[in-house]
Amino acid sequence: MLGTLMKYDWRNLSADRAPLTVALVLGTAIAYGAFNGSEWIRFQNRAISEALAEERERFDRIRSEIPRIEAGEMTVSAFADPRQPQSFGRSVGTRYAVMPPAPLGALAIGQSDLYPYYFRVSTSSKATFLNNDEVENPVHLLSGRFDLAFVLLYLYPLVILAFSYNLVSSEKESGTLALTLSQPVSLRRVVMAKVLLRAAFVAALAVLLSAAGVIIGGANLAAEGAWPRLLVWAAVTAAYGAFWFALAIAVNAMGRGSATNAMILAGGWLLFVIVIPSVLNVAIQAAYPVPSRVELIQAIRVAGDESTRQGSKLMARYLEDHPELAPPSNGPGGPPDFGTLQVAVNEATERSVQPVLAQFDAQLANQQKMVDRFRYLSPAIVAQSAFNDLAGSSAHRYKHFLAGVDEYHRQWRGFFVPRILKKEKLGAGDLDRLPVFTFREEPTADVTARAGVAFAGLLIPVLLAGIPAVMALRRYPVAG
Amino acid sequence: MTLRIAKKEMTEMVRDGRFRAASAIVFTLLAGALLLGWQHFREVSAQHASAQRATREQWLGQGKKNPHSAAHYGVYAFKPKVPLTMLDRGTDPFTGVAVWLEAHKQNEFKYRPAQDATAVQRFGELTGATVLQLLVPLLIVLLSFTAFSGERELGTLRQLLSLGVRQLDLARGKALGVAVALGLLLVPAALIGVVAITAGSGQTDMVAAIPRMAWMTLGYLLYFGTFLGVSLAVSAWASSSRSALIILLGFWMFNALIAPRAASDIAKALRPAPSAFQFARGIEKALQGDGHDSASSRAKRLEQELMKKYNVDKVEALPINFTGARLQDGEDHGNEVFDQAYSRLWTVFDAQDGVRRLVSVTAPSIAVRSASMAFAGADFPQHAHFARAAEAYRRTIQRVMNDDLMRNASNTGVYVAGDELWKKVQPFEYTAPDASWVLSRQVPSLVVLALWCTAAGLAALWTTRRVRVY
Repeated sequence: MLGTLMKYDWRNLSADRAPLTVALVLGTAIAYGAFNGSEWIRFQNRAISEALAEERERFDRIRSEIPRIEAGEMTVSAFADPRQPQSFGRSVGTRYAVMPPAPLGALAIGQSDLYPYYFRVSTSSKATFLNNDEVENPVHLLSGRFDLAFVLLYLYPLVILAFSYNLVSSEKESGTLALTLSQPVSLRRVVMAKVLLRAAFVAALAVLLSAAGVIIGGANLAAEGAWPRLLVWAAVTAAYGAFWFALAIAVNAMGRGSATNAMILAGGWLLFVIVIPSVLNVAIQAAYPVPSRVELIQAIRVAGDESTRQGSKLMARYLEDHPELAPPSNGPGGPPDFGTLQVAVNEATERSVQPVLAQFDAQLANQQKMVDRFRYLSPAIVAQSAFNDLAGSSAHRYKHFLAGVDEYHRQWRGFFVPRILKKEKLGAGDLDRLPVFTFREEPTADVTARAGVAFAGLLIPVLLAGIPAVMALRRYPVAG
Repeated sequence: MTLRIAKKEMTEMVRDGRFRAASAIVFTLLAGALLLGWQHFREVSAQHASAQRATREQWLGQGKKNPHSAAHYGVYAFKPKVPLTMLDRGTDPFTGVAVWLEAHKQNEFKYRPAQDATAVQRFGELTGATVLQLLVPLLIVLLSFTAFSGERELGTLRQLLSLGVRQLDLARGKALGVAVALGLLLVPAALIGVVAITAGSGQTDMVAAIPRMAWMTLGYLLYFGTFLGVSLAVSAWASSSRSALIILLGFWMFNALIAPRAASDIAKALRPAPSAFQFARGIEKALQGDGHDSASSRAKRLEQELMKKYNVDKVEALPINFTGARLQDGEDHGNEVFDQAYSRLWTVFDAQDGVRRLVSVTAPSIAVRSASMAFAGADFPQHAHFARAAEAYRRTIQRVMNDDLMRNASNTGVYVAGDELWKKVQPFEYTAPDASWVLSRQVPSLVVLALWCTAAGLAALWTTRRVRVY
């Protein structure tokens, strides 16, 4: 019975050109979105490979320079001398900490155009190298990107609504509903058949085309965790679509005309996709305003001034705290030089700035928690957070990267500070002993768990809209 | 006749529950956005002002140190907020708030506010401008899509025209009715906006803000006129109310969602900007120079020049300090490099703006967004204007420090300077460009809006004359 209903409904649908043009538009938009996403991935990979090539070139040059300096064949100023650990660690031999794009990064550009994806790590404080923003005309950041996530969040619901706003009302208005229901079939079964057909068509279009687009664009499906992410992503897309279908059924079940349905559903789209997110954004910023970065700048300056003023007193205290780093008692004495003073000053500055930075991170975390709690008010927000997570363009992954950079910065300093304090020079062999940064992706289980929660969060509105809808269909005024 | 029709339309609309509900929602959002904008502006403006004062105090309170150390310490420049950004934050969330003015380097602006927000922010901020650009056109569409098609379906269009009412009067009356109904909503909101802007700005700011507000209002009125004309035209032309609504919603969606992103993509494809790595690397390489023009060869050249100029044969015998001269020479070379690199980059951004302007011929929303941002003082060219002023101030600091070194430092021994030198550097004063500067760059956008408005009006008149009566 369901199959027969679906077959004839498909004939009706395909005879009308409008739905098919709409489907074509969606297909084109998906293809373009996937292309855009892949382009962004290619751009990031290019920038990363250029940076790593520059590092290799620089290290090769240093490797050839060190023996020549040691032999006295070339002279170089103290600031540029690769044998001095303070110069090497601070500027000459700095290395890149790189976060390559996630395997399915083409799915959603998300926040990845706003956050840096590589840093040039040095022994100086993190504040000096963490602001490595990508060059981009701010108007482009304001408009947002035409990526796959945009198409799925904004246009895909419109296509669903365009297909199903007059699911029942068109048949009622043309009079065929009464005839159909005079046969031994319930309205619920008719509606189910229609929805299944449309859902299969649209969801298949969305999921298959997007997957194809992303794969053609060069996504690495062999990478660890790519398949689970792709599957969860398909599930989230299907659930998001299910919500809009449920909403369309609910509005149809109210028994109004097609034009009224269209207006109500357009209002619903506007509410869930545009109004609720901006109002939530405002509420978050009102509830957990982030402390001013301007005040952070001031705090860092004041702390730096204070530490520099203290100067050698800090040096003495530092050596008291770290006796293992004190220079040998029979080594060169005298007042501490610039390099050693820098070590102590940096450490003192960072210690006094730490509470301010911690306050920042705490407020940002609070904001994120509030988003996580209230995002269920709009399926669009839930779907966006799931897409960003699965594509690796969310704040979660960026924070994970920052934690890795923090650890690497500690290792980097841990390599150079003892040598600075002991006034040991670097040799060519030390180049191979330098700490190297390797980015480890978040465990796939974590990412899919978060997206799974979003998936469950999407099912609730589906049920909330769908169940009353299906019940109201029982009392649908079929004629008159 | 027109006025009578307009009065009837307005009465009908005001009594309609749907209009009242929709307007109430739009008005609440608009008023809320304005108040939030006012509060945000007040806070941030105060922070930036106090930070600017604090950085000046830090500069003056450096104590005794070598002028070059002071140059390395530098000052921060904080971007001042313009009152009209209460209405339209434009690209402010995506440009840094502060820049460090230090020796040898032209730094990038740090700390984009958007980086401290959650992903929900990318859906769009709730500002007065987004309500005016996205929701009010939708309201116009909802109010006027049944103007002709609804009357045709009810049968009253035939009756009206049989009475001898001219189609032109009918079109004008309906347009006026919608306009006045919308005015009931927008005029109070505009008053709230003006009060907020007045309360938030000083006297000089107000004088500068009035012409900007006037041009912004013009832009928005042309934009609303466009939507009104298009809605009436489609309503008269379409075969049913339903198709009129779908066409108009499609037009709205294209303008609100698709056109801005597509325009950005086209602009980036036609005029790509370098990556951050390429940009920084280019500057690095130009600063290092090749063997012919490296820092050491430049220093040697300067030595020869100065020794010849002062007719001495030893650097130590020069009447000026050579370190100071060398540092200033290095700064001059660096400034050339930075000027070249940044002007090349900003030219690319300008070219991208030009491409977007071309695309705006197909979508008036791009033109109104560009005009609104520019007159509010929150677009990229005005950010670049501030960046250039800050950079000029940085170069002044370097020159004063290096001049002092050249004149007062001896070629032996350590030289320290104190308060008198720090005070020689004037505090950083910045005046935002005035409305005519902005207008000269936004004329294309306003022209596009005017063309769209005229074309929409003509289309409405043309379709109304040929309206199908039943």
